[in-house]
Amino acid sequence: MLCAMSQPAPKSSRIRDLLTKPIRLPQWFAGRPSAGDPRVFSFNDERESVVNEVAARVVAQCLGARLELLINDSAHREIERLEKQRDDEAREWLGFWRTVVRKLARMSETERHETLRQIVEPMARDVAGNFDPRVYRFAQQVIPGLIAGVMNPKQLMVDAASVRKLGAERLVSLTGHLDEMHALSQIGTVVVVPTHSSNLDSLAIGESLARENLPPVVYGAGKNLFTNPIISFFMHNLGAYRIDRRIKSQIYKQVLKTYSCVMIERGYHSLFFPGGTRSRSGMLEGRLKLGLAGTAVEAYARNAIRAKSRGEAPRPIFFVPVTINYALVLEAESLVEDYLKEKGQARYIIEDDEFSQLDRWLAFFRRLTSYGAACVLRYGPAIDPFGNRVDPQGRSLAPDGRVIDPVSYVTHRGEPVLDPARDAAYTRDLGRELVEHYRRETVIMTTQLVAHVLFRKLVRETPGVDLFGRVRRRGEITWAHAEYVTSYRETLDRLRALQDQGEVHINSYLETDSAERSLERALEAWDGYHTRTMARITDGQIVIEDPALLLYYQNRLVPFAERIAGEGDERAAIEIAALAGAL
Amino acid sequence: MSGVATSSDPGSDGERPLVAVLGGGPFGLALAKAAARTGQVLLLSRRDPGLQLDNVRVTADLAQLADAELIFMAVPSRYAKEALRDAGHHLDGRHLLVHVSRGLLDDELRTMSHLLRSVTPCRRVGALAGPISVDVLTNASPGGGVVGSEFPEVAEAVRGALGGPTLRIYDSIDLRGVELAAALTGLLLFTIGFAQRIGFGPATIATVTTRGVAEVSRIGTALGARSDTFGGLACFGDLLAAVAGSDRPELELGRALAEGATPNAALLRAGGNIEGIEVARRVSTFGTRRKIETPLADVIAKMVGGELSASQAVRTLMGRDVGSE
Repeated sequence: MLCAMSQPAPKSSRIRDLLTKPIRLPQWFAGRPSAGDPRVFSFNDERESVVNEVAARVVAQCLGARLELLINDSAHREIERLEKQRDDEAREWLGFWRTVVRKLARMSETERHETLRQIVEPMARDVAGNFDPRVYRFAQQVIPGLIAGVMNPKQLMVDAASVRKLGAERLVSLTGHLDEMHALSQIGTVVVVPTHSSNLDSLAIGESLARENLPPVVYGAGKNLFTNPIISFFMHNLGAYRIDRRIKSQIYKQVLKTYSCVMIERGYHSLFFPGGTRSRSGMLEGRLKLGLAGTAVEAYARNAIRAKSRGEAPRPIFFVPVTINYALVLEAESLVEDYLKEKGQARYIIEDDEFSQLDRWLAFFRRLTSYGAACVLRYGPAIDPFGNRVDPQGRSLAPDGRVIDPVSYVTHRGEPVLDPARDAAYTRDLGRELVEHYRRETVIMTTQLVAHVLFRKLVRETPGVDLFGRVRRRGEITWAHAEYVTSYRETLDRLRALQDQGEVHINSYLETDSAERSLERALEAWDGYHTRTMARITDGQIVIEDPALLLYYQNRLVPFAERIAGEGDERAAIEIAALAGAL
Repeated sequence: MSGVATSSDPGSDGERPLVAVLGGGPFGLALAKAAARTGQVLLLSRRDPGLQLDNVRVTADLAQLADAELIFMAVPSRYAKEALRDAGHHLDGRHLLVHVSRGLLDDELRTMSHLLRSVTPCRRVGALAGPISVDVLTNASPGGGVVGSEFPEVAEAVRGALGGPTLRIYDSIDLRGVELAAALTGLLLFTIGFAQRIGFGPATIATVTTRGVAEVSRIGTALGARSDTFGGLACFGDLLAAVAGSDRPELELGRALAEGATPNAALLRAGGNIEGIEVARRVSTFGTRRKIETPLADVIAKMVGGELSASQAVRTLMGRDVGSE
C-alpha cells in the first residue's frame, strides 16, 4: 500500500523548474561566512537540518486518533483547492491526495505516520527560505539606488556618486530605540513586530535594518509575491520563507508554526506582521492574534528546557514593536474601499490593488520625494515574550525596575516545561501589550492630523448620520479657512501635550509648520497622488471632497480623538473614538 | 523534540505548594481557613498578628510571598494598587495571582486583572467569583465558584487549594467576563434589594433581574467578554444566591434606598466596601459613550447620586419602550 502512496516524482523539465522554482546562485564561489557575520549568513548550511527538524517535530506532534482526522482534513481541503487550480501542481498532487482519501481508513498507525511524513516534508521544503550573502550585499548596494532612480531619474544622473543618499534616506526617516536594537541583536534573538499598512512595509523594514547595519531578519512572505521572477529571486535569497495562503489545511499551518518556532529557537532574527494583513481602515492594530509571532513563546520555553539541562541560561528573545508611519499610503484607496465594504477582514489578498500597478508606484514615489521624509519608522522599546521591558543588557525588568528571570514564566514547580495552553495565553497577553506599545510609539503625520481635523468637522456637521452616510457627503461640507486654522492649532496643542506625557509622538513637520503650511502640505501630497481630490480651498472656504479617504488617514488618530478634541467637538470625538469598536 | 518535559508530567505534583492570602479582612481570612484544609497557608495581614489557626502562618513580611505558588489577593479595590505594588517587589513569573475583587478600575471599565498585570510582574493571573461566601469558605458548607483565567494552571491551583468535597470550583478562560460579571452583578443585587423592599412581587423582580442580566451581558460583550459567562456562576449564580437569601451588602443598600434613606445613610447602613455603587456610575458613563443602552445602571447611578427618588426610578424603568428579548 505504501508503494501506491508514493509522492509525485519530481519533474525533470529544466525550463519548467526555472519558471516555477526559486532561483539560486551556484555555490561555487559562495565563500564561507566569517565569525562576525550575522547568524542568517550561515542559514544555507543549516537549511536541510531545519527542514528535517520541522518535519520530524510536526510528525511527532500529530498522534493517535487526531492523526486520521488531520490527514483527512488536509486531503479534502487540498483536493478542493487543487481541483480549482488545475495547474501543474494539481496534476502532480491530485492523484496522491485522492489515494490518501481512499486508503486512509484502512491504514495502520505506522502507515498513517508514513503518509503524514510524505505530506509534511515537501511542505516544509516548500516553506523553507534561502539566504545568500552575495545577494544581500548586492541588494544593499543597488536597491536604494534603484528606488532613487524610480523616484527621481534626473537627480540620479546629476548625483550618481551619492546615489544611496538620494533614495531611501530621504524617503524613510528612522527614529526610536535603535541603539537598544543594536545591543539586543548581539545578545539574543530579535523578533521585529511592526504595524502593517502597506506592502512596502517589509521593504521599509529591510532597508532600515540594512542602513543601520543591523542584522537582516527572516520573514514569511505570501507565495503570491513570488510569482514575479525578479521579486521572487530577491525575496527567496534574502531569507524570506514562503507562505501559501491558498493552503488551508491544519497540517500546513502546523508546518508554518513549527518552521518559525525552529528558526527563532535557532537564533534567527525574525520579522512578523502581527496584525496579519494590512490595516484596511488605516487604524492602528487594535487586536492582535500574533499568529506565527506567537511561536516565539514556545521557542523560548524549548530553549529554557534545553538550557536548564546544560545548566545554562537560555538565549533571550526580544520583541521589538515598530510603527511604520506614512504620510501617504500607496494602497490607501483600495484599502479604505475594502474597509467600507466591510469585507476587510474576510478578503485576504486584494489581487489588483495599487501595489500591482506600475503607474501608481511612480506617482506615489514622485509625490513622496517632493514631500521629504514621508515615512517615519519608529523602533519602540524591546520587551521579552512575556511583555516585560528589557534593559540594554537584555535582562527582563519587573514594573518596579527589578531584574527578573524570564524562565520563571515557563516554569512549573521549579522546572521549565512546555505547555501549549499556557503559551497561547501568554501570546494573547503579548498581543494586548503590543497594541499599547503601538499606540505610544505612533508618529502622527501631517496628513493624518489635517484629515482628522477635517473629518471631525464633517462628523460635527452631520449629527445622527452613520459612517456610510458620511462618506457619501462629497463636496457638501465647507469650512471657513480661518475657523479651520483655529481648530487645527488647538488640536495640535493637545496632541503636543499628549506627546509630553509619552502617549504619542508627532512628526517634525507638525512641530515646525504653521497651520496654513500643514494644510498646504497635506493637500499637495494627496493631490499629487490620489486619483480623487480629498479637499480643496475655494474663496477662503475648505471644501471636503472625499470623506472616505479622509477617514482612512484620520483613523490613525482614533485612540486619541477624545483627548485632543476642543470645546464643541466632544460629541464628534466620541463618535470617532467609537470607530475603534467597529474594527 | 523527544524527551521534552510538559506541565502534565507525572512527578511534578506532590504536596500542595504554599498558598498565600494577601489581606486579612473577613474574606481573606475565610480564604485562608479554606486553604488551610488542603495544606500550608501564609496569611499576609497586619490586622491580627497573633492569630492562631492550624496550618496558617500569619505575617506582615511580604518577602515571604516569594515562597508561595498561588496568591489570593483579597485587599479592597481602593487599597489594591498600593498593596500590589508592595507585594510585586517579591514576585516574578512563577507566581499565580488570583483576586476576588468585585470592583472596576475606571470609566473604561477596566478590571482588577489589568492592575495585577501592570503593577506586578505576574502574568498568570485569575479572578475567583460566584456565590462563594465567607460562610461557604469558613464552614465548608456546600457551594461553588468559578475561576476566570486564561492559564489552565491557575484554575488548577485554586481547585487544589480550595476545592474539595464541599466546594466545586469551575474554570473559565473568559477572565474578563468573570471579572465583569462579578462587578456588574452588584448592580443587579442592588436592584433586587430595592425591588423586594418597595413591595414588588416575584414577577416584577424576575423581569427586572432577567433584563438586568441582559444589560450587563451587553456591556460585557462590548468589552470582549463572552455572553454565556453571564449565565454562569459569576453572575447568574450570584443572583440566585441573593434571591435565595444571601447577605450581600448591595441588597441592603437597595432596601435602604427603597425605604427612602438618603444615599449616604443607605451606604452607612449597608456597611462593607460596596464596590457596586461606583460601578453604576461608571457603567452609565460608559454606556453613554459607547452608545450601549444601560437603563438599569443609569437609574441606579441617579438614585445613589440623589438625583432620582425611588418612585421616580420605578416610573423611569417601567415607562421605557418594550422591545424584543
